Amino acid sequence: MEILFAPPMDSVKDGKLSVEGFSVAARAFADKWKRHNQSLPPWSWVPLIDRTLLVPNKEEGYLSLEKIILSSLEERPCSEEDESLDVKIDCSEDLESIDHAILVQNVENEAHYYDFHVVYSASYGVPVLYFRGYCSGGQPLTLDVIKEDLPSCSVSLLLESKWTFITQEEHPYLNRPWFKLHPCGTEEWIKLLSQSSSGAACQMPVELYLVSWFSVVGQVVGLRIPLEMLNLRTSAIQLQEQAMFSVTGKKQT
Amino acid sequence: MATESPSSVRKVVVHLRATGGAPILKQSKFKIPGTDKFAKVIDFLRRQLHSDSLFVYVNSAFSPNPDESVNDLYSNFGFDGKLVVNYAFSMAWG
Repeated sequence: MEILFAPPMDSVKDGKLSVEGFSVAARAFADKWKRHNQSLPPWSWVPLIDRTLLVPNKEEGYLSLEKIILSSLEERPCSEEDESLDVKIDCSEDLESIDHAILVQNVENEAHYYDFHVVYSASYGVPVLYFRGYCSGGQPLTLDVIKEDLPSCSVSLLLESKWTFITQEEHPYLNRPWFKLHPCGTEEWIKLLSQSSSGAACQMPVELYLVSWFSVVGQVVGLRIPLEMLNLRTSAIQLQEQAMFSVTGKKQT
Repeated sequence: MATESPSSVRKVVVHLRATGGAPILKQSKFKIPGTDKFAKVIDFLRRQLHSDSLFVYVNSAFSPNPDESVNDLYSNFGFDGKLVVNYAFSMAWG
């Protein structure tokens, strides 16, 4: 009968993850996201290429979600207002003669795309969010432009802590400048999140690490996690079911 | 039960729990309309504790988006007739 029990899951004790733990947590997160968040594209796992053997490294890699338009995620004003705005634009066009030969036009209304990467930081032992924004033509967005797409709380935080919140740094794998959310506080708040309210009886399983982590990090960039994805009751049942299925599946074959 | 006046929206009991050495509030439980956003709870805590460096979380598992409605949080994470909200002094960034 022991075979029916779910295999013991590693739990997060000190707020940190190992490389292996990150890989497990990343896949679990991507799976859940796919199941509960169908309005957005899925995260994909990008394996690192082992340079000496030129084969993909199984454990090491990062999560990637690309070409996301952030403004579309926020609630838009109702369509009537949009129409009235359009009318205004039309009027202004009549009043001022616009030279259509000008190449750079209407830059303000151009769609902004965002790429997000979740990369493991070996020095902090926690995941780190890297992101970049660009226009449809590929021109990178500066932080000043990105600010306009970020939630208001992030903008005010940027004013307060300029160097400890979002800064531009080299992407550890792509070697290009990306924006990065500082990981120095992560360990501390993950510790808070992983402590059970009823004492040490239950600790956060590694599989749920990135879900909890993203509930905080996603708020900074305006990416929301569906509540069903966070509901531990359903998650625990799902994890157990998965384990049961994999065991019973093996038994049958 | 069904005794609530028709004009009133369903209220949710929110239980504020201090963790990590944060001060305990004199009144830790209060009722707020379920249609309110979670941002209201965060603002209330900030005002009570005179601190912006608060980390607010639910179910010891995640930090809710301020735009989430209290009703939705309660229906997913409420237990025993109340929604337990934990808070600690901690800076997520910087």
